[in-house]
Amino acid sequence: MRESVRPAVALTSGLTVAVAAAATVFLVLGPGRALPEDLFGGISGAAWLMLALAYATVGALIVSRLPGHGIGWLFTGLGLLLALNGLSYSYASWGLYAQGGEVPGLTAAVLGWGQANAPLMGLSLLLFPDGRLPSRRWIPVAVMSAVAILGFVVVAVLRPGPFDVPFDRVSNPLGVPGMRDVMNALNGACWVLTYVALGLGVRALALRLRGARGEERQRLKWVLTVSTVVGAVTVVLMGSWFIWPENVQWRMAVMGGTFIAFPLATGIAILRHRLYDIDVVINRALVYGALTLLLGAAYAGIAWLLGVALGGGSAPATAAATLAVAIAFRPLRARLQDAVDRRFNRARYDALHRVTAFLEDVRAGATAPEAVEQLLRDVLGDARLELRFLLPEGGGYVDVRGGPAVDARGDARERTPIERAGTQLGMVLHDPAAQERPDLLRRVVETAGLAIEIARLRTELRRQLDEVAASRARIVAAGDAERRRIERNLHDGAQQRLVSIGLALRHAQHELGPEAAARQTLEGALAEIGDAIGELRELARGLRPPQLDAGLAPALQELASRTAVPVAVDATAERFPDGVETAAYFIACEALTNATKHAHASCVSLSAQRRNGSLVICVADDGVGGAAPGDGTGLSGLRDRVGAHGGTLRIESERGAGTRLIAELPCGS
Amino acid sequence: MRVVIVEDQVLLRAGLERLFADGGHEVVAAQGDASHLLATVTGHRPDLVVLDIRMPPTFTDEGARAAKAVKEAHPDVGVLVLSQHVETSHIVDLVRLGGFGYLLKDRVLEVQEFLAAADRVARGGSALDPEVVGRLIAPPGVNGPLAELSEREREILKLMAEGLTNSGIAKRLFVSERTVEAHVRHLLSKLDIPQSEDGHRRVLAVLAHLSAARDQR
Repeated sequence: MRESVRPAVALTSGLTVAVAAAATVFLVLGPGRALPEDLFGGISGAAWLMLALAYATVGALIVSRLPGHGIGWLFTGLGLLLALNGLSYSYASWGLYAQGGEVPGLTAAVLGWGQANAPLMGLSLLLFPDGRLPSRRWIPVAVMSAVAILGFVVVAVLRPGPFDVPFDRVSNPLGVPGMRDVMNALNGACWVLTYVALGLGVRALALRLRGARGEERQRLKWVLTVSTVVGAVTVVLMGSWFIWPENVQWRMAVMGGTFIAFPLATGIAILRHRLYDIDVVINRALVYGALTLLLGAAYAGIAWLLGVALGGGSAPATAAATLAVAIAFRPLRARLQDAVDRRFNRARYDALHRVTAFLEDVRAGATAPEAVEQLLRDVLGDARLELRFLLPEGGGYVDVRGGPAVDARGDARERTPIERAGTQLGMVLHDPAAQERPDLLRRVVETAGLAIEIARLRTELRRQLDEVAASRARIVAAGDAERRRIERNLHDGAQQRLVSIGLALRHAQHELGPEAAARQTLEGALAEIGDAIGELRELARGLRPPQLDAGLAPALQELASRTAVPVAVDATAERFPDGVETAAYFIACEALTNATKHAHASCVSLSAQRRNGSLVICVADDGVGGAAPGDGTGLSGLRDRVGAHGGTLRIESERGAGTRLIAELPCGS
Repeated sequence: MRVVIVEDQVLLRAGLERLFADGGHEVVAAQGDASHLLATVTGHRPDLVVLDIRMPPTFTDEGARAAKAVKEAHPDVGVLVLSQHVETSHIVDLVRLGGFGYLLKDRVLEVQEFLAAADRVARGGSALDPEVVGRLIAPPGVNGPLAELSEREREILKLMAEGLTNSGIAKRLFVSERTVEAHVRHLLSKLDIPQSEDGHRRVLAVLAHLSAARDQR
């Protein structure tokens, strides 16, 4: 609370409480007998004092939180005014009837009992929710309220003759003689002004609602709803006056009590940051109201019927009625909810039904759960809506396709978390306008929760599979790199060293001269060295053919030239990524080995061409066919190699019709 | 003959130097990489350049490119490329230039044959590794013109492709030169290759035939 307003608020509140307390004392003391048209005595007086305290409390709260807010001071003043009104009335009726008029200040008390509070209420509608008029055009309406207040004061002070009942025993000492009719007319005019201003206040709220969004819209809805209800209650009570003139005190008590809703709703709307969705309140009130009525009627009906049949108030009848009501509760509630939604919230009804239909499609396998994002966009009418999944174990947020979620700079979209069974699944990025219908968003997301969860799990699975594929490709690439390194080492290291040793031996032989006996020994050693070099060369070639350095086509030509059966090679001269070329080479190698060893082919065709972003290796032979992967032909190893590059391997091998092996290796662009 | 040796491995380079020296040849220069090779060749005017095909910095085909450069600048200088493994792709093209040889590195251990091949290349002839020739000649049992050759003729064809002369072939096979001549005439006519006394031209013809035959497969 700001220091500057603290004393003023404390003073006003204290005064109001003191006045209300005094009023309560005189109310309890009472007039000592029943009065005609004792509008604000007894229970009614108590209700109106409660209203005064409600206004004072809400006003003090608003002033202390938002010192500049007009409604705060208006309510504070209204609270005090109502309390003073209560004191005037109760003191006057106690003084006049219980004490026979022998109390001080009786006339002043009767004079102080005016109607000035009614226009103030209209004014508060006009100022809601920001404490200012909607626009300058509304100044005349505020002026109308002010004029009405002034008019009521003038009438109260200047009207000659007896005061209104129940104080008609007293005559106004300040009354201007001969002006009673004029003053009565003025009083009527002031009431007209008051009602017109109230109506226009409601109109102002409705107009504000039309242009409002988000939070402010919720606030307006609150107050508008409560105003409408309070207004309706007032009209009904006033109307009943004409049909049923007795018991006015009770009616005034109900009216005062009902009015309490108004400062309370206004206070909540202004002070609470996030309002509980008013739609839900209305919706639930309708559903549970109808539910209570129907079940109550059913219970009574069944209990009565069974009571008649079984004979008076038996326990079985009560038990059966209770059971029937218990059984009917859930289905009836669902039906009523459905009916209420359909009648009063068509948009939500349609939205939820579309989501339910979508879930059915997902269950039937007719739709991919990932389409849930598009569904939410359609249903909530928000084309920019986006779903983000939260990956477990600190994986962060990803979009529906599993890509990392990027937040554009200055993204003003609202983020609403999605939870299911206590776990956060992700969040919805949506237009802030959806906050106007938070219930719709919440219910739609809640209903679509299963699809969202499945989509999230699938996304997670896809990401993990991608990760596995990537790691497999990395392992193969690492293996290839290692083979290449060993091949280099064998060729450039061990092999060369052996040649050097051989040359040294040759030199030794030369030095020894043609007659030395050791020449033969050296000759033998040299032959061994030659064999070792040959073996090393074969070993190195098996690891990784050095011809691949020159390209796939030369390597395949070389491979074909080493094959025992004629091989027609048709290979593109294009170069491909190292891993792809190596894989292609080993595929061709294995296929040619199979063609000669197992298929007994007499000729083979080998082609390697780029097709649709893939390197396609096709090896076809005219052998016996009937080959299948996994029958020890090394085909499963090939499949792994192809798989590591994200490619496919197909084998067409009908018995007696030769074998065709087709491998497709994606090679980008 | 005067020899320039280009080999990045020190031990092997020294071994090669000794090999040529023991064979009575003069090693005029020995270097560890192919840079400045053209200057060396221009300066020393050697009869033969012996090159390792894989050399720094990338260890891929530096030797092959240097060989081509030398042949283009000095067609009369013989170039003998040594390799750790058989590479048929660009070799046949280089052989066509004449005065060119391609041998696996371990052939140097067969000193006499190696020096003979080096000598052939230095004098404008060819030397093709038997392994390469083996790749070019289809295995027996495959249909085609080569299938009509006898075992002996096939053997002689291989040696011809390697670059050997009739007398070289005769020595290698321990037969008389006349016998070799007869076989050669026979097999050339079987394969429809025109007769030629020029050793190099004959090699080219045989290679061309073999390459064509292989590509048809």
